[in-house]
Amino acid sequence: MSEVSKNLWKDWRLHALVFGIVLVTEWIGTHEFSVGPGVILLLPMLYAIIIGLALFFTPVVKEKQSKNAEPLIVLGVTLLIAKIGVIIGPSLPQIIEAGPALLLQEFGNLGTIFLALPIAVFLGLKRESIGMTHSVAREPNVGLIMNNYGFNSPEGRGVMAIYIFGTVFGAVFMGLISGFLATISPLHPLSFAMASGIGSGSMMAAASGSLVAAFPSMETEILAFAGASNLLSLSTGLYMSIFIGLPLTEKLYNVLTARRDKKSHVKTGRGA
Amino acid sequence: MMKSMQEWIVLLVIFGIVSLLGNWVGYGTFPVGAIPGMVILILVSLVGMIMQKLIPIDIPSIAYVAIVGVLISMPWMPGSEQIVAMTSSINLLALTTPILAYAGIAIGRSWTDFVKLGWRTIVVASFVMIGTFLGSAIIAEVVLRMQGII
Repeated sequence: MSEVSKNLWKDWRLHALVFGIVLVTEWIGTHEFSVGPGVILLLPMLYAIIIGLALFFTPVVKEKQSKNAEPLIVLGVTLLIAKIGVIIGPSLPQIIEAGPALLLQEFGNLGTIFLALPIAVFLGLKRESIGMTHSVAREPNVGLIMNNYGFNSPEGRGVMAIYIFGTVFGAVFMGLISGFLATISPLHPLSFAMASGIGSGSMMAAASGSLVAAFPSMETEILAFAGASNLLSLSTGLYMSIFIGLPLTEKLYNVLTARRDKKSHVKTGRGA
Repeated sequence: MMKSMQEWIVLLVIFGIVSLLGNWVGYGTFPVGAIPGMVILILVSLVGMIMQKLIPIDIPSIAYVAIVGVLISMPWMPGSEQIVAMTSSINLLALTTPILAYAGIAIGRSWTDFVKLGWRTIVVASFVMIGTFLGSAIIAEVVLRMQGII
């Protein structure tokens, strides 16, 4: 957390609002409904982000509260990580045993390239798609793309687009799909717990929170594995992108667009 | 450093009080009994943030916070049982609700940027997230099965 000397604690309006949101959303509690064989869980934290966002557009929240709230997310995540730390501690022997799975699933982040890049190219996106799909676009990845291509490049716009989506909807999206995918697929909840660690505190909390709500008897294991995986992603994610993710995305992009260009050339008769 | 430490402490206490009351409403844990656990978590956060300031290596403070949390709760650490028992009265989700409430208020300002993104971005972004989540889960499943853990 950066040097905060703006006396954020004095923003009583902001804290009172958050306090109100927390009481209301916790009082509403968790609700679930089935979609086919899967379960979608509505958790207090999901209502909290939506109510917070909605309040931004009312006179209750002023520009100042919105600005002040940003560093407080970081501080809250710090407390959350402390809690995850004390969940990981007692499970350490188990985590060490599962170590290889934890390390290797980091390669799963490359799944995003194979799934999302062809879709981006199919939708007609150009080099934006490289920035968009080389990773889940959290802060270190935005930095990497800006560093390699510059802020005002198609790749830079692409990574920012996904970054903004992730910031606005990441937690809600992960919270909704993780419980759902885990209940419809035959994969084990612990595999999904490891997958919850994508390198964003709020997304990990949402994804693993939904898993815990769907499989309450495995709470400690799920949270320990998700937390350990998230820490691993935070520390290795950038290097994964630098050495594997981004070069792979470039290669695959060239292959995909070569095919697309050829096709369009044939169609327009310019290919010959 | 002293100034920002005071600020951290006051803010963490505010955050802690809000979480404790959320923990009460949502998970039925009476706040008084959960205070020791919250105090431990706040101390762990502070120690981690102070370490980040003092150690001249560029590692984010949450990495230190996590290490401190893991160290004090490891089975072979004296007193770890009490620490685990005390902190277990704080529900993880009770901590995430205030974070996302602050996040909701903060992201209001990115909303207009988001609206400008267009539907193609939303489709791609959804697949970006599903891709990493399913990819990781499938690899984890294969390796955990090979190890005989699940």
